[in-house]
Amino acid sequence: MFNFKKGELSITIPLTKNLFYNAKLFFKKNGLFLMILILVLLSICSFIVYYLNGLGLSYNDARSHLDIGRRVVEGLKPGIAQLGSVWLPLPHILMIPTIWNDFMWHSGLSGGLISMISFVITGILIYYFLKELGAGMIGRLVGVTIFAANLNVLYLQSTAMTELLLIVTMTAGVYELLLWFKNDNILRLIRAAFFIMLASLVRYDGWFLFVFAAGLISIEVMRKRGYKVAEGIVVLFSTLAGFGIFLWFMWNLLIFKDALYFIFGPYSAHTQQEQLAIAGNLATKGNLLFAIKVYLYSVAYNCNTFITVLAAIGAMVLWLDKKIKTSIKIASLTLLAPLIFNILSLYLGQSVLFIQGLSGNTWFNARYGIVMMPSVAIFVGYLTDKSDKLKYVLVGLMAFVLFFSFINGDAVTIDDARVGSSQKNVSEVSGWLNTNTKDKDGFILIAAASHDAIIFSSGLPMSKFIHEGTGAYWDSATISPDRWARWIVMRTNDLNDTTFKLVSQSKSFKEGDYRLVNHYPFADIYEIKPELVKNLNTRPILGRQK
Amino acid sequence: MIKRSTHNKLTDYFLLFAAFAFSVSILALALRGISGNPTATSGLNDNKWTINGPFELSPERGRFALLYSIVENHSFEFSPELGNFAQPDVAVNNGKYVSIFAPLLSFIAIPGYLIGRYLGISQVGSFATISIFALMNLLLIRAISIRLGASKIAATAAGAIFLFATPAFAYGVNLYQHHISTFFVLLSIFALLKSNKIWSLFIVFFLCAASIPLDYPNLFFMFPIGLFALGRIISFDKLRSRVSIKIALPKLLTIVIMIIPILFFLWYNQNSYGNPFQLSGTLHNAEQISNINPKDLQSIQEKKLLKKEGGQRSAVGFFQTRNILNGFYIHFVSPDRGVIYYAPIVLFGIIGLILAQKRQVKMVTLLVAIMGANILLYSMWGDPWGGWAFGSRYLIPSYAILSIFFALLLTYWNKKTWLYILILPILFYSIAVNTLGAITTSAIPPKVEVLELETLSGIVQRYTYQRNWEFLVAGHSKSFVYQTYLTKYMTPVQFYEILTLSIFTVISSMLIYQGSVTEKKGSLNV
Repeated sequence: MFNFKKGELSITIPLTKNLFYNAKLFFKKNGLFLMILILVLLSICSFIVYYLNGLGLSYNDARSHLDIGRRVVEGLKPGIAQLGSVWLPLPHILMIPTIWNDFMWHSGLSGGLISMISFVITGILIYYFLKELGAGMIGRLVGVTIFAANLNVLYLQSTAMTELLLIVTMTAGVYELLLWFKNDNILRLIRAAFFIMLASLVRYDGWFLFVFAAGLISIEVMRKRGYKVAEGIVVLFSTLAGFGIFLWFMWNLLIFKDALYFIFGPYSAHTQQEQLAIAGNLATKGNLLFAIKVYLYSVAYNCNTFITVLAAIGAMVLWLDKKIKTSIKIASLTLLAPLIFNILSLYLGQSVLFIQGLSGNTWFNARYGIVMMPSVAIFVGYLTDKSDKLKYVLVGLMAFVLFFSFINGDAVTIDDARVGSSQKNVSEVSGWLNTNTKDKDGFILIAAASHDAIIFSSGLPMSKFIHEGTGAYWDSATISPDRWARWIVMRTNDLNDTTFKLVSQSKSFKEGDYRLVNHYPFADIYEIKPELVKNLNTRPILGRQK
Repeated sequence: MIKRSTHNKLTDYFLLFAAFAFSVSILALALRGISGNPTATSGLNDNKWTINGPFELSPERGRFALLYSIVENHSFEFSPELGNFAQPDVAVNNGKYVSIFAPLLSFIAIPGYLIGRYLGISQVGSFATISIFALMNLLLIRAISIRLGASKIAATAAGAIFLFATPAFAYGVNLYQHHISTFFVLLSIFALLKSNKIWSLFIVFFLCAASIPLDYPNLFFMFPIGLFALGRIISFDKLRSRVSIKIALPKLLTIVIMIIPILFFLWYNQNSYGNPFQLSGTLHNAEQISNINPKDLQSIQEKKLLKKEGGQRSAVGFFQTRNILNGFYIHFVSPDRGVIYYAPIVLFGIIGLILAQKRQVKMVTLLVAIMGANILLYSMWGDPWGGWAFGSRYLIPSYAILSIFFALLLTYWNKKTWLYILILPILFYSIAVNTLGAITTSAIPPKVEVLELETLSGIVQRYTYQRNWEFLVAGHSKSFVYQTYLTKYMTPVQFYEILTLSIFTVISSMLIYQGSVTEKKGSLNV
């Protein structure tokens, strides 16, 4: 309805009380569904974008994760033992139902799907976390948006990396813990323990969360009910939350005959870090201030500096808010677990993180800061809620920054994957293998620990490769390659490459039965002399192995 | 304790006049320049005018070159001599040398140039234009602070602090755009505060549009002001059974005023670049026009920066979110540009902001939005140092806003003695640093360039205001008054000491007076 009075055009939209009520009811009923729908669409669109531009598989680790999953269902020696000890097993176990499909394997969707589902659930968890903290609708939506509109999150949720699965399990654990602190409902504690147990099977960040949460639980219960009850509650919590860790020790004991194999084994992070330390590339080890600086840079680059600063203010507002119960404040400390863990592990030399400008001119594991993203989103959502009229300014400024972040495609994780030490351009080697071995009989001898990216990128079936996980095939082929390996892929003269280490000692290699076909930056390709091909086993004749 | 129960308007006017007259005198004393009317063919390219003179950096040269070209050659194209003078901020478009700067500043400074030329000091006249805007900014800060609830004396002190205790001082005595940008921001805020009538909207929308040809990034921090003004035109009423959207038609028509600056901008672009929509900042810089003195380290560094840029340039590509971390560091804590080193006094404004927010002072949201946009924008900028510069010049609009909050802080906490004990030494430090910058040089390299400079020059290079101090003790000052009239009577150091102590005495007197008075209830919102 239009009115024109005293030079003022007035447009009146008649909205009846009933209409308002119905609209409110609709959003109350379907708000969650709408949010999930938006998150799902965002997730799918991102996957498609990164699939089409080929960035989804840029991370070397993404290809390795997919290969591990694939080896469980396909290869010369398929089976659950292929999960190995290099990485914790949950991401690969979750891939098993889909990884058998070649498209799911080579598109990365098998791993991406897990990340995508994790992305959607984390968004919902952030919404409910903020609701439990008493934040209003705008604060909650800001929290979810900050998380979902982060290019690094969108990229990682489109890949087979494990960050999003870690994020969702940790956030779920922390959320359930918050509810337990708030309502003292034991069921919530059990659920928290369950999710933390899952997190402990994704990455070692989860192990720290377990210890950290147990500590906070004991403080809370002792504060309220004394030592005896605290003991009981902590035992209850730890039994379930620590079960994954127990299983991992058992797994290592059963499969590798050493419960600590994952720590001290030849492919463990510890071993790699030791090599880096010897080469003088582990600057954070023993230097707490530098470790803090490096990790905070990583958080700032992953979560956006401005948003991170707002989150720090939000955290202070939360912890200084007199209206918030002490229990809630204690529970919310778990949001800092990833921060403390990463700084500690850098300081102790248990992990490595290169930030361009701080650690030379390269990136490596720059993505580690992304695990703080849910915490950052929650704190920012809370700050927005508490900012009274300034909330609109904050929203405007965040939109301003996000606008430039999208326009310029600023995602440190993509740089980390594409130009940092996390990537290897193995297309030349894998391309050669695809072109020259696809239609020929014979196996390729290769160390998966060093060249998983080549195996993945070659597009060849897993059963074409003899690697460390193929048992008797590997044992035989490294002693007598001329019986098994038509091609050998290895870094010549590099004793870290297990294939070279073993094959270089074999009689046939020493006698020159193999000729160097091509030399590439990341590996060399050897082929058996044509006259010896007839002596090769080209079929998997060893049958089912234990 | 002085009781101001009978508030004397005459005293207020006298104080204002005295403060204004003092500020005019100080700016006049610090104004950079030398006598003469240099021409493109004789003088401008001499070191006397460039490296050692008032046109020490390319932003001043580039804008003056355009001004000169318009007035003397009646053209937007640069002659080869002018192109050489404006290097490296010169672009080649369709075979012509053109300016890469937004043009409005050069136009605004024309009257000053003409008056100066008449008096035989054309450059000084051009620079004085900026000083006039700096003075108007002082008055606007005072006026806005008073309207937001600050006492008059606190508001005046805050204006003077903005002008003399921040890098705004150094950029109020030479040819940069920052004071005019700040003027546009402050005048818009004042117009919105002063009146709800149509004329205020005319001013705001005109300034919003005019800010773009002044300096393109202004668009982003004038945007919140435009949005706020739009809220005066369109209003929502949620009644019991309906929602009413009211649009004030005559006010809506005020937006049309934006056409005037936009048409000017398009006209300039058409005549300069042959395309009304071509932004000068997206043009490629010209190759070297003539040989550069190899001793001119500054030019060498500038050229290197240009080489790095290369490739296709896009307007939004200048702003990268990845730069924010470094940008925050440079603007706030770095020794070469950081606010805590150059203008720590304005940080008290943050406390004023928090108090104002708690007291629900009007327009706090708008002020925070402008400041936020200013800080974020220039933190995303690839060169947060502002090239060779004195302090963080890009944050001058934010210093102005923080000064407003500083006035509110002084008003709210005027009885807290500890605050004054804390403020006075920091005030002295801030004045000392910025007076040093104003009367010496703005050519301070960023820390990242220093190592290379040292290799090139073979001497230790300073990247903080220590460089200004060395310049001063070496017997140099770029003040026009000092160079023309005072060299016989005092050394540059003595000149500096007199200026610093005078400024500190006047401002600290205002602060002490503010701390000693008891405002009559209700007199704050005069």
